[in-house]
Amino acid sequence: MGFIFSGIEKLGPAGLVLQAILGSLLGICLLIGFIVLRRWYRARYFRRRNERTVALRARWDDIVSGKVSAEEWRFDPLDCDIVESILLDAVEMATPEQLPRLLDCLRNSGLLDMRICEARTFSGWKRRTALLALGRTRAMESIPALADALDSPSRETRIASVRGLGRIARMEAAIPILDRVVSGNFDVPERTLKNTLVNCCRNYPSILVNYVEQTQGPLRELLARVLGELASPDLGEELLILAADALPEVRASAARALGNTNTLFTLPALHTLATDPEWFVRLRAVVALGQIENIGKIRILLRTLCDSNRHVRQRAAWALARMEPQLEQILEDVVATQDEYALQSFISELERSGAIEKLVGASEIGSANDSAQAALMEVVTAVKKRVQDSEKAAVAAAGR
Amino acid sequence: MHFLAISNDTLFIYYLLSNLIYLALLIVAIFKNTVHRHRLGSLRLELIKASPFTPPITLIVPAHNEERSIVGSVGALLGLEYPSLEVIVVNDGSSDGTMEKLRLAYQLQTARILYIPDIATAPLHAIYRSAVEPRLFVLDKEAAGCKADAINAGINAATSPYVCVVDADSILEKESLIRIMAGVFSDPDRVVAVGGIVRVLNGSRVVNNQIEEVRLPKKAIEVMQVIEYLRAFLVGREGWAGFNMLPIISGAFGVFQRDLVKQVGGFRTHAVGEDLDLVIRMHRRLHEEHRPYHINFIPDPTCWTEVPTDLKSLARQRARWHKGLIDTLWPNRDMLFRKRYGRVGWAVLPYMWIFEFFAPIIELVGYSTIIIAMMTGNLSRSFFLQFLLFGYAFATLISIGSVLLEEMTFRRYSDWREVARLLIYCLFEHFPYRQLTMVWRLQGIWQYLRGDLQWREMKRVGISANPVG
Repeated sequence: MGFIFSGIEKLGPAGLVLQAILGSLLGICLLIGFIVLRRWYRARYFRRRNERTVALRARWDDIVSGKVSAEEWRFDPLDCDIVESILLDAVEMATPEQLPRLLDCLRNSGLLDMRICEARTFSGWKRRTALLALGRTRAMESIPALADALDSPSRETRIASVRGLGRIARMEAAIPILDRVVSGNFDVPERTLKNTLVNCCRNYPSILVNYVEQTQGPLRELLARVLGELASPDLGEELLILAADALPEVRASAARALGNTNTLFTLPALHTLATDPEWFVRLRAVVALGQIENIGKIRILLRTLCDSNRHVRQRAAWALARMEPQLEQILEDVVATQDEYALQSFISELERSGAIEKLVGASEIGSANDSAQAALMEVVTAVKKRVQDSEKAAVAAAGR
Repeated sequence: MHFLAISNDTLFIYYLLSNLIYLALLIVAIFKNTVHRHRLGSLRLELIKASPFTPPITLIVPAHNEERSIVGSVGALLGLEYPSLEVIVVNDGSSDGTMEKLRLAYQLQTARILYIPDIATAPLHAIYRSAVEPRLFVLDKEAAGCKADAINAGINAATSPYVCVVDADSILEKESLIRIMAGVFSDPDRVVAVGGIVRVLNGSRVVNNQIEEVRLPKKAIEVMQVIEYLRAFLVGREGWAGFNMLPIISGAFGVFQRDLVKQVGGFRTHAVGEDLDLVIRMHRRLHEEHRPYHINFIPDPTCWTEVPTDLKSLARQRARWHKGLIDTLWPNRDMLFRKRYGRVGWAVLPYMWIFEFFAPIIELVGYSTIIIAMMTGNLSRSFFLQFLLFGYAFATLISIGSVLLEEMTFRRYSDWREVARLLIYCLFEHFPYRQLTMVWRLQGIWQYLRGDLQWREMKRVGISANPVG
């Protein structure tokens, strides 16, 4: 080999180029070799994994019940990986009755302890993988290890920890997160945080109320938004405090939350929010009004149908157009507002919901007043023309 | 004689630099891809689908004379997995039955919705909403002779904070929207646009507007394009995005913040390369406003598109791409080497001028001087051979690197034989395909200088004609 290199050196600058050529050719060979080897290795690995999965599946019930000793599979990395992934998938799909048996298997085999240890001692991607696996176990004892990782200097690790806690989906998992949110120095993406809190607080939304009260500014808005998604009727009066909040985002969330309740104070509170100076608060109030079953909302919706914001008008029209028994009366009231934008929004929604045909029938009987009838006749003409056009087109298409 | 020597040396250094930059991009891309795959491992797409906080998105589909495929394409788009989706088809003055097909298939009704033309477009005839699919809107507008105008009309009508522009004749994978939006969710305050990967559809098996089986096309000219697309997306775009300097998001598949697109005036009407032009203007605007931002590229959301199958269509496409490049670089020349435009002005734009725009000219000069030097006996044969070998080996290394990236990440070509074919074509890509590309790009420059910015139709085989069963 020595004579080759000495020969190249003698070439001077040309030798440098030659070295570069040889280097590139070597690179090409290495890359091709790597691709081929990787393919071969992966094919072999998956074949082996497949065989082991079939073998372990055949004894699955015995593995879960502990009849097959954990020692038989725990210390083989491939077997351990297969059993863990099957177990975690099963935990995710398990009913409350099935869950204890699977958790016992995780505990008795030492898999849970192994993951807790990894989450506390590893760093980087290994730690994040352990955190996510811990979250998937849904075991209460995972929470402290996951909570520790919330203080990690690495943002990726904090995100993995928040996601892990979200998968546990218990109120206890939300508390460490909420404590750090309240402290104000917790940097994770807002959407990840909100999704996790929704998962964890679904059954206990009231826990969020205290935290909303302790926070200010954007954090208060964030928590209020989650609360708005989860609020249940038993939150009741606490929502009224939020409905009077100084932050418009919080008021909007309160409006959203009120849509999930239907108590004595729901309608008056939404009435107030529907006249809020901020358009998106009014919009939320109108959407919430659309959700509740209360005939008293018609009066408020009619007012919001004349709102200066088109989104508010459209949602009000959407809600009104779905109140079928009262449609005739509503149409008369809309015409009486003498607001062209309101009338247009409402008729457009009637067309979209298909309720227009029923109203046309009613107008032929003559129950609607003159202006309503005039508005309707305009629509009827348009509908007829459209039907004729589509029939013609259908005939033409059939002819072709 | 002195000139010939300098020219040859310049050419050598030019090739070396060009390939070294791509090698650097390849290394960054491998690193970024690895990180992305780790992140994907912790992301549960079904949680995003179920989340009430997933922002709505509007798909904008410009359609001009697409009667053959429009109904199927819209059906496939409506079938995409995303929790809050709005589809706006913009019929850009089609002279065929595009509008009629849509009207019949989706029972379109005139919608009385307020349309505010924040971006000026050709007049709209009507806005329709489907009676059977409330997420579908159709804008029927006068033809303006350009795709950008149709997209702008769609942006005006969009109600979601994010818009995604999709070609009517492309195929998006079911989870592509969720996957591309994951790039936004990672940092919604900074990420203003995200591009996904565009792959070659030719040769694959398509059933109901969805890819059933990924196969390499049969013709060499198409396989060459597969390698080009892999290199451009998996190496080039991934690498540039790694430095937050992504200069282009493909017009076939990209997500943008709607308000930002409106702020920069939408897609430039009559721009030849409207996608490149928009992204450069976004960079300009965000730098001028000193806003922290990121324009991202995500390699897993996939859009499949048909590529030219004959030399004539390919020549037209490449000439048009090069015209689009000049058409964007020239109006933005003031961004070059200006401090306020940061790394975009100092790195990516100079790169595009030197190694993209001037590439065919420098290659042409290089080949000419080599020939002259050979004829006059002033060319060192050993230098010429070394130069040729080195250029070939280095460029092949990069192409194989992009195949390796594909192998390490998404492995869409699962058959051994397909990968072997890809690798073999990598060895033959640089002669004569590269030289042909040079000629087509020179044609593009010539057409641009003559003021010929006309769109020339590309011959398409059509999705339905792809191998089935």
